[in-house]
Formats: sequence, C-alpha cells, structure tokens
Amino acid sequence: MKVFHYINFLIIFLFLIAICIVEEMLVSSALENVQNYCFEIENYISDKQSLKENQIVLMVDNLEFDWTKDESKLCYLVNHISIKELSYEISHLKAYISNDDIVEFKAALDAIVMYCHSYLHFMGANVHNIL
Amino acid sequence: MLTIIVRSILIYCIVLLVFRLMGKRQIGQMQPFELVLTLIIADLATIPMADISIPVLHGIIPLLTLVVLHFVLTIITRLSIKLSSFLSGKPVILINPKGIDYKAMKKLNMTIDDIFACLRDKGYFSVAQVQYAIVETSGKISVMPKAEFAPATCQDLDLKPDESFVPITLVCEGKILKDNMALARLQETEVAEIVKKEMNSKIKDVLVLTIEKSGRGYIQLKKDKGKSFQTKRLGSV
Repeated sequence: MKVFHYINFLIIFLFLIAICIVEEMLVSSALENVQNYCFEIENYISDKQSLKENQIVLMVDNLEFDWTKDESKLCYLVNHISIKELSYEISHLKAYISNDDIVEFKAALDAIVMYCHSYLHFMGANVHNIL
Repeated sequence: MLTIIVRSILIYCIVLLVFRLMGKRQIGQMQPFELVLTLIIADLATIPMADISIPVLHGIIPLLTLVVLHFVLTIITRLSIKLSSFLSGKPVILINPKGIDYKAMKKLNMTIDDIFACLRDKGYFSVAQVQYAIVETSGKISVMPKAEFAPATCQDLDLKPDESFVPITLVCEGKILKDNMALARLQETEVAEIVKKEMNSKIKDVLVLTIEKSGRGYIQLKKDKGKSFQTKRLGSV
C-alpha cells in the first residue's frame, strides 16, 4: 500500500511538471505565431497605400483563424480575461480593412505585437511573476 | 450555470481526493502546517468554482502542488526531529507536580479558565487531581491524574478478564456485510438462523446485527426494539 501511496505522489508530481511544460510551450508558440503573422503583414503593407487587397484580407483571416484555434487551447491554461484584448485587436483589423484605414490598421498591428510581448512576459515563469 | 455546476462537482472530487491523499487526521489532530494547508485548500477550491473565466486548472494545479508539498513536509518531519519540532512545535508541560506552570501558560497564550475547561473536559474538576497536563503539538491537552485520582484498572485489582474485541457488524440496514462475515467466519445461513431464532424475522428486516468474539450479540429490526443475545463463541477473529 505504501508503494501505491508513493506512486500517487509521483504521478501528481509528474503531472504538475507536464502541465508546466505544456503551458510554456503552448503559450509561447501561440503568441510567437501571432507576432510572426503581424510582422509578415507589417512588411507586406509597408509600401502600400491601400488595404483593399485580397492578399491582406487572406493574411488577416489566417491570423484570426490560427489565433482562434490557439486561443481555445490556451483557455484551458490561462485566464480568458488575460487574452481577450488580443482577440479584440485582431477583430479590429478586419474593420480597418473594410474602412481602408491604414493608419489605424498599423496601430492595431503594433498593439497586437505589444500585447504578445507583454503576455509572453507575464505568462512565463520568471522572478518578476513569482514575486 | 451548467458550467458552474460541472466545475463545482469536478473541484469537489479533486478536494476529496486531496484530503484522502493527505490522510485521515481530524481538524483537532492537525499539526500547524497541516492546518495551514487545509485553510489554503478550502480557499483555493472556491475561486475557479465561481469565476468561470478562470480555467479550472488554476484551481487544481495549486491544490495538487499543496498535496505534493504536504507529502514532502511529512517525509521531512519524519526524517528530521529538529525540523519536525520547528514545523509542528513541541509538547509543553502545562501542569507539573508543583502546580500550573505560569510561564508555560503565558507562552501558550492560555488563561486559567482555558486550563480548567480542558481539565473538566478530561473529567478532572480540580488542578489538585492532576499530576501532569501536557499541551500536545495538535493543541489538545493530555492529562495524567495523581495516583489516588486515577481510575482503577484490572491490573490494580489483580483481575484477569478476557481480552475484549470490537463487535463485528454483520448486517446493516438489511444488507449483509460480506467482509465482516468472513472476519467472523460465519455463513449467511448461520446469520439467517440467528435472525430467525432471536427475532423470528428475515435478514432484510434487520436494522443492525453485531456480534462479539464471545458470541454475545445485539440485534435490532427496522421496526422493533433491539435486544442482546448469546450464541456460540466465534472462531479465531
């Protein structure tokens, strides 16, 4: 019986380690993915005067699709409220395309990159977060 | 709402599992570090139950972390006496043959009324009856009475009674407890015979049936008074 007792604790201990690793991997891969999309879009529109292009719509759609997919996974691990701003900003991108508002579009992209950066900072395990 | 219900059930099961893994100690028997863990667990469990924006894992992970921490602390307290006394404290002698230790009383933040209440709880109404009173690390008080006030034992009276055994429950609310039947080395037919002989009834009508090693038993039907009976002595139990 004592062996089972030890095994129980070992299983819990391993489960905790596994959860930490999975969280770290999921969070960083999802946010880095969003950041990469944003950089790619920023590069693409850097010399454009208008947003009325299928390629831009496609890139934003891909960004939204991938983020929605990752967000549903992240919801198991992180607080919904912590990541909702990212979803808001991504949905704003589509509105700016239909209004052809390139200034607001770029600002929204910057905001997304900034959110990703700050989330990566406060979601990971580091001394600042612990203290 | 359904989310909250499902979350509550899930967290309840996890907390139940956590307490089962932590052991069977009651609140009053807890060491200080166990009490701290219990209080934290109670608080942690309620957070993800009510707030559905927080993932349920945010409640479960700290709970499981505390289980592991408790396990580690238990091992450490077993291995190191010094750390054990640091975490759990040391028993304190509150009353010695000279009387109440005032310094110990103040250190424990107790009053004379508290001491008297504890002594009365143990069946002693005067400090003069007590040789030693020790406050255990769990906060409970153990009392050793003076020899003249101690209850007489069989040894004092030079008696040699039979060893007593815990009565075995054979039937509970009309259901036969098979593990206990095996322990008492009885067959279902033998139990049915006892029920028929003593109460002229069937097993399904029995509220409780217990039996001791000496063969002395107690039976009560669901709709009748209970009675004691004597049957053959049980084999080695």
